[in-house]
Amino acid sequence: MDISVLEVSNISKWIKKKQIIKDVSFNIKEGEILGFLGPNGAGKSTTLRMIVGLSKPSSGDIKICEYSIEKDYVRAMSNVGCIIEAPDLYDYMSGYRNLEILGSMSKGVTKKDIDEAVELVGMENRINDKVEIYSMGMKQRIGLAQALIHKPRLLILDEPTNGLDPQGIHEFREIVKGLAKEKNISILISSHLISEVQLICDRVSIINNGSIIRNASIDEILLTDEIAWTLDDPKKAQIILKNKFNINSSMDSKKLIASVDSEMLSEINKVLVDSEIKIKYVENKKRTLEDLFLTLTDKHKIG
Amino acid sequence: MIFVSLLSYGQKYSYDRNIQKFEAESGDIAFDWKSLTTQRLNDLESRSSNEFIPDEVRESIDREIQQLNYFIDNDINPITPTAAKFSVGFVEQGITLFIPLLIVILAADLVSNEFSKKTIKVLLTRSVPRWKVLLSKYIALIMMTTVVVFIIGIISTFVSYLFFQKWGFSEPVATGFSVVKGELNSNSVILISRFQYTLLIYSLLWFVSIVVASITLLISVIVDNSPSAIGILMASLIGGQFLQFFLSDWELVKYFFVTNLDLTRYLTGSYQPIEGMSLNFSILILGTWAILSLIISFQVFNRKDILV
Repeated sequence: MDISVLEVSNISKWIKKKQIIKDVSFNIKEGEILGFLGPNGAGKSTTLRMIVGLSKPSSGDIKICEYSIEKDYVRAMSNVGCIIEAPDLYDYMSGYRNLEILGSMSKGVTKKDIDEAVELVGMENRINDKVEIYSMGMKQRIGLAQALIHKPRLLILDEPTNGLDPQGIHEFREIVKGLAKEKNISILISSHLISEVQLICDRVSIINNGSIIRNASIDEILLTDEIAWTLDDPKKAQIILKNKFNINSSMDSKKLIASVDSEMLSEINKVLVDSEIKIKYVENKKRTLEDLFLTLTDKHKIG
Repeated sequence: MIFVSLLSYGQKYSYDRNIQKFEAESGDIAFDWKSLTTQRLNDLESRSSNEFIPDEVRESIDREIQQLNYFIDNDINPITPTAAKFSVGFVEQGITLFIPLLIVILAADLVSNEFSKKTIKVLLTRSVPRWKVLLSKYIALIMMTTVVVFIIGIISTFVSYLFFQKWGFSEPVATGFSVVKGELNSNSVILISRFQYTLLIYSLLWFVSIVVASITLLISVIVDNSPSAIGILMASLIGGQFLQFFLSDWELVKYFFVTNLDLTRYLTGSYQPIEGMSLNFSILILGTWAILSLIISFQVFNRKDILV
């Protein structure tokens, strides 16, 4: 499980004397789904484009399955499948013909691989129709099939659910989760939809103004060190916290909230109980990803 | 579609003019070309037998006699429009502007469309190095150009045959005049059949088209959308013609590709748009443009950030 399928180390990108990406590093392990979260214009797309070889980093290196994208482009790219922004296909051909052509560009893609991919995305019935009459959802499915025909180990999806209806989003999500679980494909999803990332991903990287500001697992990022006590006498407890542990706390209705190191928690609880304060609940305050996202990004204005 | 409609329009226009000419020639007077030709032939023969004429000149006179004899023997009016003449004439007229424009439009479509339809993204995210993608585009471009030149030949010959009812492929043509130090030199005049001549003209057209296609490839790779690519190339094709008219004494102009497109005119005689230009010179310049365009296209394409 500990093999890095994607390793991005210290990449920077300058476009027209402006630094778009600042020293970004992260990695994805086998079978892991990483959410790449950031407001519009934060540099998500630019970073993904560098990973799939559409643009070159000004400095830094990207390794896919240990192959550097700079030095070993073909081998690195043979392990990547991607949809960047929208699935762009040749309108005047059938979905199947599109897949055949794109498949012929990778080594060893057989008819069976194409059929499997088509089946996986559930497009068997319409695959011989021309792409121009497909709906957005169908195009997205073909786009996904296109990214999977050469059996990549890393899947890169840039805003994959843009333009899909809720039903489509749900199905798409199920397919993607299945891929990671059953085929052990690592997936990098960029999105500005927080709920989506929260539902699919194991880990998130939050990017803003070209630098990664948080890089952690979903659980880790949602749990905070804020502890909330529900007590019968919060005022007394507040004084104890201040005097004995030098911890500032706040009161929220009947709850006492303070930032506490989890190792000290049992100690504090013991003291509180000893002081004859009745504790109903002690809970770790969970934040929504949205809260976090907003607090992390609203300080940084575009520009 | 664009190609067919443009071509047929151009064709139709050309025919109408040709047919008008034809009717004016044969309709007004019962034009007795035979006596005229015989007269000219006798003239030449007496000149040829003159001892004081230098050998080179005699040679070229002999060639012309040969040519005229052919017309008389085969009962052909030398100025009758034939399919072969038309298809050559079409190329001679079209080689500087019409056909290059056609190639530019088609070629720009072939390359820039990948950008404007964004399909370039799926091509470049495959495990294929970029130069291979561009190379296959270039090969497709050459194939397309070849087909276009072929179609122009076929259509102009067959359609004009319908009008003129004469192929005329076996008529002899004199070619190979060149200008040396400002004087017409017909030393190297050779007689070849119309068929060979047509082939020669079409190979020159093919060469010119390939050059134009290569330059189009470069522009499309740089500007990455077809309307601008077509615009830039149209402007340089038309602007190049102006340059040639107004600045013909400016040395630099003769190194511009547009000035050198008119290869076929070197074949028919005294043509020297700018001092120092010849068939070989023009071919060399065009070839250099094509090769440079290719090299730069590959360089640019390899480094390009795809932002569509």
